[in-house]
Amino acid sequence: MKIKKITKVTFGALVAGTVIFGIGHFQTQAQQEQPAQQAAATATVTECFESREGYTARSRVENVVPEYGYPNIKCSQTTGGVLWWGDPYDDTIPMGDMPDIDDITKGDYLTEDAVIKPREPQLNYFNMDPDKHCVMCHDGKAVPFPKDKKPRMITMHQDIVEDSMELMHGEGAIWCLDCHNATNRNTLIDHRGKEISFNQPQKLCGKCHGVEYRHWRMGIHGKRIGSWIAGGKKRWWVCTECHNPHTVQTNRFQPLKPEPAPALPKGMKNADHESVHAPSAAGHGEATPAAMH
Amino acid sequence: MPAEEKKEVKGTTISRRQFFKQAGAVSAAVAAAAASSVIAPEEAEARTTFAEFFQNNYRLMTDEEKKEAIARLEQRHSEEYGKKVTVDGSPAMKDVLFGYALNIQKCIGCRRCVYACVKENNQSRHDTEIQWIRVIRMEKGNFTVDDMDKGYPNSPNESFGIQVGGNAYKNAGVALEGQHYYQPERVPEKDAFYFPVQCMQCEKPPCVKVCPVRTTYRDPDGIVVIDYNWCIGCRMCMGACPYWARRFNWGDPNLPAEEMNPKTHYLGNRPRMRGVVEKCTFCLQRTRKGRYPACVEVCPVGARKFGNLLDPESEVRKILDRKKVFRLKADMNTYPKFFYFID
Repeated sequence: MKIKKITKVTFGALVAGTVIFGIGHFQTQAQQEQPAQQAAATATVTECFESREGYTARSRVENVVPEYGYPNIKCSQTTGGVLWWGDPYDDTIPMGDMPDIDDITKGDYLTEDAVIKPREPQLNYFNMDPDKHCVMCHDGKAVPFPKDKKPRMITMHQDIVEDSMELMHGEGAIWCLDCHNATNRNTLIDHRGKEISFNQPQKLCGKCHGVEYRHWRMGIHGKRIGSWIAGGKKRWWVCTECHNPHTVQTNRFQPLKPEPAPALPKGMKNADHESVHAPSAAGHGEATPAAMH
Repeated sequence: MPAEEKKEVKGTTISRRQFFKQAGAVSAAVAAAAASSVIAPEEAEARTTFAEFFQNNYRLMTDEEKKEAIARLEQRHSEEYGKKVTVDGSPAMKDVLFGYALNIQKCIGCRRCVYACVKENNQSRHDTEIQWIRVIRMEKGNFTVDDMDKGYPNSPNESFGIQVGGNAYKNAGVALEGQHYYQPERVPEKDAFYFPVQCMQCEKPPCVKVCPVRTTYRDPDGIVVIDYNWCIGCRMCMGACPYWARRFNWGDPNLPAEEMNPKTHYLGNRPRMRGVVEKCTFCLQRTRKGRYPACVEVCPVGARKFGNLLDPESEVRKILDRKKVFRLKADMNTYPKFFYFID
């Protein structure tokens, strides 16, 4: 309502100010661009993400495997993703108990040395309290929450939950407190009110996504690294390490920047010959003269 | 070139003397290790190269000869790359037949597997850039009822009969040609799927059939391997392979010492030389020790699965039991052990 009261003059001054600031900012950026690019060419990327950009970060540590002088990971210099694993079990904890599912794989995972990368240590967003983390405020008393589950737009915490306004899970029927615990925000909660650790989101996700959960337990959905031998030690990726539960219906997997294309054969200037049938060159395979030669 | 040849000749004369000097020693490996601190690196390299000329096909070597060959390589590569390089010679594991499964529905075409493979397997980095995996971008086809019985679009009055799902110019299903050099801002793209291709480790490998010197052969765990020292570089196998899985070292490989992976296998990722063929081995330096191949570990979407085909509890067997599986060019009668599957 207040915006309407701002006079045109003030508005004009604001716009002008923004434009001037914008131009100045652009110029400085252009000046800095050249050396920045050179620096990027020489500097090595040692911080990289595993599967989901912005969720699982990892930094390179040298000589983790002294026998071969391996670092724990090698990062892509172009996209900032993990490209190679020296030590697959680096920074992991045991996966913990897993409920039995009644299929032929019963017992397989129980003998397995399954480890995961814990999520709970990353809950201390504000470091307000070293032990309580989110419960500092969200203990069910300090911050009130609505009793009905009707989804509504939230304005708080977009700094830590950047995609909170794009929430789309269960075609809009599910909202925050269906998965996040209202009285203990350090945990997740299932539909029967059972608290679930952030380290084991599969226990929550599997309540609805049963087929994926079973296939994940068998090892045919999802990612595992370490030993290929059935019963060998493996690091398991849990659901949220690949899928963003908030926007999973928009993108099942958040798109990534691809690694560079292979070198063209000697003498070839570009790869235009490849796009003869591509939609961009000739409509979707339409029989235009350009596409027919 | 003449200078290089001269050097080579000079090197061989020196090394011949060295070679006969050491002939009486009980173990050449011990002698080589003892001598390594005295002899200059290039001299050592020349000697080992000379000794390698008299080396047999790896399959026909005795265990003793294998040990000697491996010791020679370890010494030469350690000097060449300035760090301790191990060359493993471990044979196939018992009761293991390696199989691979790839979910083409999940693959996003990010090419991380390509570069993980390069980091692991010591390929030439540039000027003949060698990559064992090639990810091909495939156009998604439209399967519409309208196209079901259309003939050639430019001849509407003629009928060429029913061509299921498309016609010569408007294809259905997949594109007529895949794109190797795609480079969008983000992958996956909405109108494409991605199809990684690498060595399929065929049960009936055409490359093995054509090799005139039998340097490439199938090991008991199903991996088709190459003894690079015995390879004459005729490239018959490259012509025979229907999957375009093999690569040729046109020049000396460009492998920076700091990027060299010192954990190598004789039949796998040890540094190659000019004029030999190489290909994917399912990272046998890793898999014969129980570790997943590098491409499996790096895949950010978990599309790549690997395991023992003889073990019913392995990932690959469970996929074969439950998923829709196909093999590339199954009609070629090569029986690949690389399966593509969809959910």
